[in-house]
Amino acid sequence: MADKEPGDVASTPASNNPLSRKLSKILETRLDNDKDMLEALKALSTFFVENNLRSRRNLRSDIEKRSLAINEDFLTAFQAVKEQLDDVYSDVQAMNECCLDMTNRLKAAKAKTHHLISQTTSLHNESQKLLVKEQVAHAFLDKFQLKPDEIKSLRGTRDGALQPDFFKALSRVKQIHSDCKFLLRTNHQTAGLEIMESMALHQESAYERLYRWTQNQCRLVTQDTPDVSPLLCQAMEALQDRPVLLKYSLDEFGKARRSSVVRGFIDALTRGGPGGTPRPIELHSHDPLRYVGDMLAWLHQASASEKEYLQSLLKSCSAANVQLDEQLGHITQGVCTPFKVRVEQVLVSEQDPVTLYRLDNLLKFYHHTIGQIVNPEAALLSTVAEIQDLSHRMFFNSLTSHANKLLDKVELPRSDLGPTDSLTQSLQLLRDVLACHDASVVPIDDKKQDYKQVFHFSGNFGNSRHIIWLRIFRKYFCLNCISMLTTLKSYYYNMVNCIHLMNTTLALYEFTDTRLEMLNAQTDAHVDTLVSEQASYILNRVGLAQMYGTLQTYKTEQGPISSLPGLDELAVKSAVNKFDSYLAQPDSLTLPQFHLILSSTVRESATKRSTELICQAYRQIYIAVLDPTHGYKDGPAVVPRTPEQVVHLLC
Amino acid sequence: MAAGPYNYSYIFKYIIIGDMGVGKSCLLHQFTEKKFMADCPHTIGVEFGTRIIEVASQKIKLQIWDTAGQERFRAVTRSYYRGAAGALMVYDITRRSTYNHLSSWLTDARNLTNPNTVIFLIGNKCDLDAQRDVTYEEAKQFAEENGLMFLECSAKTGENVEDAFLDTAKKIYQNIQDGSLDLNAAESGVQHKPATPRITMNTGVQPPNKEGCAC
Repeated sequence: MADKEPGDVASTPASNNPLSRKLSKILETRLDNDKDMLEALKALSTFFVENNLRSRRNLRSDIEKRSLAINEDFLTAFQAVKEQLDDVYSDVQAMNECCLDMTNRLKAAKAKTHHLISQTTSLHNESQKLLVKEQVAHAFLDKFQLKPDEIKSLRGTRDGALQPDFFKALSRVKQIHSDCKFLLRTNHQTAGLEIMESMALHQESAYERLYRWTQNQCRLVTQDTPDVSPLLCQAMEALQDRPVLLKYSLDEFGKARRSSVVRGFIDALTRGGPGGTPRPIELHSHDPLRYVGDMLAWLHQASASEKEYLQSLLKSCSAANVQLDEQLGHITQGVCTPFKVRVEQVLVSEQDPVTLYRLDNLLKFYHHTIGQIVNPEAALLSTVAEIQDLSHRMFFNSLTSHANKLLDKVELPRSDLGPTDSLTQSLQLLRDVLACHDASVVPIDDKKQDYKQVFHFSGNFGNSRHIIWLRIFRKYFCLNCISMLTTLKSYYYNMVNCIHLMNTTLALYEFTDTRLEMLNAQTDAHVDTLVSEQASYILNRVGLAQMYGTLQTYKTEQGPISSLPGLDELAVKSAVNKFDSYLAQPDSLTLPQFHLILSSTVRESATKRSTELICQAYRQIYIAVLDPTHGYKDGPAVVPRTPEQVVHLLC
Repeated sequence: MAAGPYNYSYIFKYIIIGDMGVGKSCLLHQFTEKKFMADCPHTIGVEFGTRIIEVASQKIKLQIWDTAGQERFRAVTRSYYRGAAGALMVYDITRRSTYNHLSSWLTDARNLTNPNTVIFLIGNKCDLDAQRDVTYEEAKQFAEENGLMFLECSAKTGENVEDAFLDTAKKIYQNIQDGSLDLNAAESGVQHKPATPRITMNTGVQPPNKEGCAC
């Protein structure tokens, strides 16, 4: 307030006066706007309670005191803060030290462990490698070593029984053994060799076991129907690698089957079926065909069955056909002897050629049929062939003896000049034989061959039918000539008739063409003789024979024919007259034997040809008589008929 | 593999008979190969085929003997009746003569086989109905009169062929079950293959119920 006054004073008079300026400044001051001032004044008003001098005088110091007190307060307050901060600082300091220390220690530790880590890493890598190696080794062992259970199944049980696993193990052993070859090609030769050796040992012992087992099994197949188990088939398949063992096993099988087949055969022969049906085969031994046929049918069926069993046994073996055939031959060998003995007995005691021939055909048929099942070398087949050969011989023997019996009978041609009884009989025999041939069971190809044998000269059997007939004919001829009981002429008639009979017999059968041709040629030859015989007979009877005979040999130097003795005009004329009467009745001068020719075709052709001969003879005579050089004065009167007329009359 | 085609418990033997050209071989071929054989040649003597069938869940092997119908083989074929368990007697429905000969075939079959042999009458070629010469009814009656089983078949189309063979087998099997067919030795036409090895070799198989009276 004090300042105010001076200010007011100063401003008024002179504004340039500092005081006035100060005053105006104060005056210009607007207290409302000065917030600081207001605050300060408010704060002042709190402790400036009493407005008196003393207090006005002391105001400054009060304010200063107050300010000092406040600052002291501040100081003490900040003193605490400072102390606190100092503490924090020291703490941080300690921590820092600690950290540093740790860092140092860590650094030291790190330096120290560095070596260890690198060692660990290298060890780790090593272990990785080892792991891989282990896997490889495992794989190797898996591939090249047997597992314990495999070894066990290979060793098998004590009783020798075989498990299906055995074959798996065996094939593994084989596989390993062959895989070793790859090993040998690489650097692992020692291992390869060792493994190979051990596998070979395993294999050997396994095969030995397998063989023993198979052999035992094979010995057991003696039933009527053998039980070919899948295991046995497998065993056979496995044994293929040991051909010798396979062969021995098969031999064992064959032996067992062989005895079983023999037993079955004997049973069928002697015991028959259950309760006697079907009846034993031997019950029919009185009927050779049925007896032998039944036996053969049984053998056929048995060999077919045996082949099936063998096939089922060897079904998984490749290329075992040779062995199969061989074994089948062996199996069927056993029945050969009992069979052969029986059939031989039948054949030897059989007399009838027809039955023998039937048996022969039957055997031939079965030789063919059984030959389709067993191979050609089999004993059974050769036995059948042997027996068939025997039956063949027996047949021809019996045929010969029959023929001989017929030949032994002295037989003359019959009065009617027909075929003799012996010929008829032998032809009947032939017919029977051929009839059963027709009904035979042999395939067509064989049949033709067979016919040949029956008809032709046979290299093996020099006494075929044909020869027998030749002998019969030859015998007639001799008989006729020696005894002179009958003329040659009759013989020819007889011959023609015999041949005709043969002809008609043979014509009924196949494959007889060549034979028929031969017979026809023979007939023709005989008929030629008959024809000239007939013609000369007629010429003789009418008296023209001399004339005709002269004409055949006539030569001009002999002079005219009419001058020759017996050929004068008169004689010729009477002969021609006689001939004329023959022309009226041509049949009157036919030889009686002519009518006895059985074959009408032969008869007709013979008649025709003899007539032609007569006509020809007449023509020659006619020409000769009319020829003026021969001295027949009245030619046309001697031979009134022209040859054409004669032909006309006779034909 | 283990079962294999050879695992069977019985073998039945069949015989097929009948006149020439009725289709015996074709029936067999149809049955074993399931094919029709056109231009089938004449059978020479006998031929045979096999097939495994199943009856009452039993595997049975049929061994079938096919005979020649030609008269000239009659003596040979007669030997094959022995021990047949089944006889299939075939005629041709388009040829009456083949039907008329049945009685002689039947006589043969009855005389030469055992009493238990199942005889099955087959009228073959039933695909040729237009040319039919023998009615179904009369053949059926003939079969009934003679106690035969009967079917009309066609080897060409395969119709009923399977049935004829199977029905025969069923009947035989039934006979075995009834005990009327004695499973003794091979001659009954039936052979039994037991699972266990046999002990008696000479008597063959015997059904268990017979064992008591065997001695």
